Amino acid sequence: MRDPVFFHAIHLDMPVEAVYRRLGYRKAHTQLGPGQRRDMETVLEDAAGMIELKGSALILKADVGRGSEVTLETGDVLRSRGLARMLSTSRKVLLMGATAGNRIMGEISSCSAGGNLARAVVLDAAASEMTDSALDWISACIGQQVRREGLEVTPRRFSAGYGDFDLTNQKIMYERLRLGEIDVSITDACILLPEKSVTAIAGIRKAERKDGGKCQ
Amino acid sequence: MKNRERIEGMAAARLVILDGATGTQLQARDMPGGACPELWCLQNPESIKAVHRDYWKAGADIVYTATFGANRYKLAQYVAGADACQINRDLARLARQAVGETCLVAGDIGSTGRFVEPFGDLDFEEAVAAYKEQVRGLLEGGVDLLVIETMVDIQEARAALIAVRELTGTYTMVTMTYESGGRTLNGTDPVSALVTLQALGADAVGCNCSTGPEGMIPLVRAMAPYAKVPLVAKPNAGLPVLRGGETFFPMSAEEFAGFAEEFGSAGVKFLGGCCGTTPEHIRMLHARAQGLKPGKRKEHVPAVLSSARRSVCLASQDPLLIIGERINPTGKKDLQEELLSGRMALVKRFAQEQVRRGAALLDVNVGMPGIDETQTLREVVKTLAVSTDAPVCIDSSVPEAIEKALRIYPGRALINSISGEEHKLEKLLETAARYGAMFILLPLTGKKLPRSSFERQKIIRDIHARAQGYGLTKDDIVVDALTLAVSADPGAAKETLATLRWCSDEFGVRTVLGLSNVSFGLPERRWINSAFLAMAVSCGLSLAIANPMGEEFMQIKRASDVLMNHDPQAREYIAHASDPEEKDGGVTRPDAPVRVQEKNRSPAQRVYDAVIDGSRGEIKDLIDKAVAGGVSPRQLVNETMVPAIQKVGELYEKKIYFLPQLIASAEAMKEGFEHLAPLLEAADACPKQKGTVILATVKDDIHDIGKNIVSLMLKNHGFHVIDLGKDVPDREIIDAVIRHKPQVVGLSALMTTTMVRMKGIIRQAREAGLSCPFLVGGAVVTKAYADSIEAHYAKDGVEAVRVVQALTGQGA
Repeated sequence: MRDPVFFHAIHLDMPVEAVYRRLGYRKAHTQLGPGQRRDMETVLEDAAGMIELKGSALILKADVGRGSEVTLETGDVLRSRGLARMLSTSRKVLLMGATAGNRIMGEISSCSAGGNLARAVVLDAAASEMTDSALDWISACIGQQVRREGLEVTPRRFSAGYGDFDLTNQKIMYERLRLGEIDVSITDACILLPEKSVTAIAGIRKAERKDGGKCQ
Repeated sequence: MKNRERIEGMAAARLVILDGATGTQLQARDMPGGACPELWCLQNPESIKAVHRDYWKAGADIVYTATFGANRYKLAQYVAGADACQINRDLARLARQAVGETCLVAGDIGSTGRFVEPFGDLDFEEAVAAYKEQVRGLLEGGVDLLVIETMVDIQEARAALIAVRELTGTYTMVTMTYESGGRTLNGTDPVSALVTLQALGADAVGCNCSTGPEGMIPLVRAMAPYAKVPLVAKPNAGLPVLRGGETFFPMSAEEFAGFAEEFGSAGVKFLGGCCGTTPEHIRMLHARAQGLKPGKRKEHVPAVLSSARRSVCLASQDPLLIIGERINPTGKKDLQEELLSGRMALVKRFAQEQVRRGAALLDVNVGMPGIDETQTLREVVKTLAVSTDAPVCIDSSVPEAIEKALRIYPGRALINSISGEEHKLEKLLETAARYGAMFILLPLTGKKLPRSSFERQKIIRDIHARAQGYGLTKDDIVVDALTLAVSADPGAAKETLATLRWCSDEFGVRTVLGLSNVSFGLPERRWINSAFLAMAVSCGLSLAIANPMGEEFMQIKRASDVLMNHDPQAREYIAHASDPEEKDGGVTRPDAPVRVQEKNRSPAQRVYDAVIDGSRGEIKDLIDKAVAGGVSPRQLVNETMVPAIQKVGELYEKKIYFLPQLIASAEAMKEGFEHLAPLLEAADACPKQKGTVILATVKDDIHDIGKNIVSLMLKNHGFHVIDLGKDVPDREIIDAVIRHKPQVVGLSALMTTTMVRMKGIIRQAREAGLSCPFLVGGAVVTKAYADSIEAHYAKDGVEAVRVVQALTGQGA
């Protein structure tokens, strides 16, 4: 599979608990009045209306050496000991990318500049969590597809900039996933724009199933 | 036709048994991991024939061909240029050879692995074409029926079903796969899927895979009240479990078969197995199913519309449904410009606003001069399919535009409208029937305007009779009783109301009105509209095309629902009436739980409360009252507001407050300060600046929300903040330090790659002879890293204030 699969509208429920946690809410400690909770709900509802999740995914064969190199069938070489370790049982990899889109980022900027920082931080946290959830979703979606071949997607994934997987690898991910086609750009410093855009790599390995596991 | 009768006869008489999992059976026959199952089966025909035969002998009435992935997209992942049609034909023939004529063979159609527009990049018509290729092969191979299965994308299921229906009338089942939350990965719930697929011509609908029998029964029960077609279930053998690092399905054949009766009573007519099931599971299932009579189908199924993620039931006892009318360019210059330029921002906004204000459906009309209505309507419908859950009402006078919009819409839509105009009537009725759409019947013929209710009734009867010829029933129809202006015809409203009552009480059909026309030409139209709405509801009105942003209108609707007993226990009405946002015109008071709840708080104490609560909306008034009551501005700052924000900092550090509360308080404080500033200046009592702090997010880093929080917090604590922004070059920071001579420089970074710039900036500052302290922070920055570059560290805005106070000798 050399061409990525594009997801133009990923629909997910807002991971409300995760957003609260990201904002420092602690069940046993934090006290939130009913009016404040309502305000939060309203902002999260607004966020849900403005986050336009899109994504792309690409399965590639990969040669994982013993050291720190992962060579993709495209000839790209990813260097990271941590990544190579994670992919040690995989013969294929899943590249995936997701973005929350420009609309929510525009709202965050305008709230931030317009003196409504409280709303901006909630929108920001919501967009971050939704984008992460989109990667989970893509992973589950591809997982369902490869299951009939007796394969599964590794539960862990790596992102460029994490551990020894240098951020410059984001350029390779960006190009292979053709993220430009879902309105994501990349800076010279390998940062994705809009800000709430992420890429990750996971392994695809043989599913250790004794019984069942095929839908066909 | 023979097969259809045979299958329908079987399903009417007993539980029809389907086969079980195929993949594992092939693996047991040495199919290697990672192989293409379809190609492997062709190379090992005896293996797949044995699998089919085993299921048949175990008691399956229907076996599925091994063609789940035999479409051009899936096959291309294994081999270039595969002939999908031929592969399907050959695999179907193998199934037939295996089971002969006594067992039915279902041609199995699975996912392409791509998402279809508007959810993905696969063009809808390309998807239809790819499925046609597969269906042709299966039909050539002699299958008795078709099954579209394991679908997660309702649009892909629709594409496959349309492909089937455009080629053949063969009996076709469609099953979707639902996750543990009861929705497909793409967000479709079982009722919406059922409504969409049965309307589009599926002969049986249901679910397979992803869950065991216990998890699947609630999905079937949810569908049953809305099912006009038989239901299908193919559960896994329980939920997979991990044992000793290996995953497997734990449910024994006996336990699995024990659910047969429950499935039957829930409404299932076709029952088989998916992941983890074996011929033994099917043997036991067949044994348990003997003598079980399938549940009776409901006599009357309510009319339901659907989007990809929601269904809207048009039951007569339900509240009045509002069809939001705002997506219509008439009189809206902004929307006209947007539609002409192909942009969709306003469409999305109008849709979301209307749904939030109570619209159950969204009317979509793009008709205006200079527009390609067919193309634009299709694009708008696609946009709405992904940006809102509300089903759409497709409003156009161009039959081709309606047809294209219905074809692409991933739900069951309502056509607005079909009238008795001869040149359009047949085409539109045929379109409604083909896509399973409901339609608004407009009692017009293109000739004389029917002014009396009697004239309208005749047209309604005529169009209904014509619609019956296309298999459409009264449940597929909503009659528009016609609203004419009372300013032009004083008796117009009475005729409309009489038509409504006739539709409701005698003819037995749902009704709709576009209400606002009644008041055309009169002043204060909202009162006429509201009174007309209440009267129309009492005459049986089911739906209203209106602007839900109109508060009076929506209040009358809610009140009417109560009075007509369409809002049980007045729940909706009470919930709405007790919503403080509604009562206070949308201004909520945060009412933080930690504030001292005392009566008779002084104005100054209430300013304190406002900072604690983060009530920026009311702090200015409270300050004015406190000052008018004799509290000096300086006192207010030093003895009320500063202690309040310090208290907020404490609450945050103890995690009693979380970040939005901290910031709301800081913003209330800022608002208060700004309001007090002129008074402080006039009294020559401005608090002394505690020092200057420069803040910047380093070069190549675009994340600045954390830095903005620090800036706000420092300002509230009396510091002069010069915020250089984000992605700031090193040189710019050094130059600012030279120019402003700050007491502290704060640097922020979110990425490990940009964090390292901090070290360089500090080195350059020292080389330039600048000795000011640096404070660093950001998601990836740690105390250890700060120490390593000889900088100070703060984990958040509250700590940043404390560190800067310490560095500037201010103390808390």
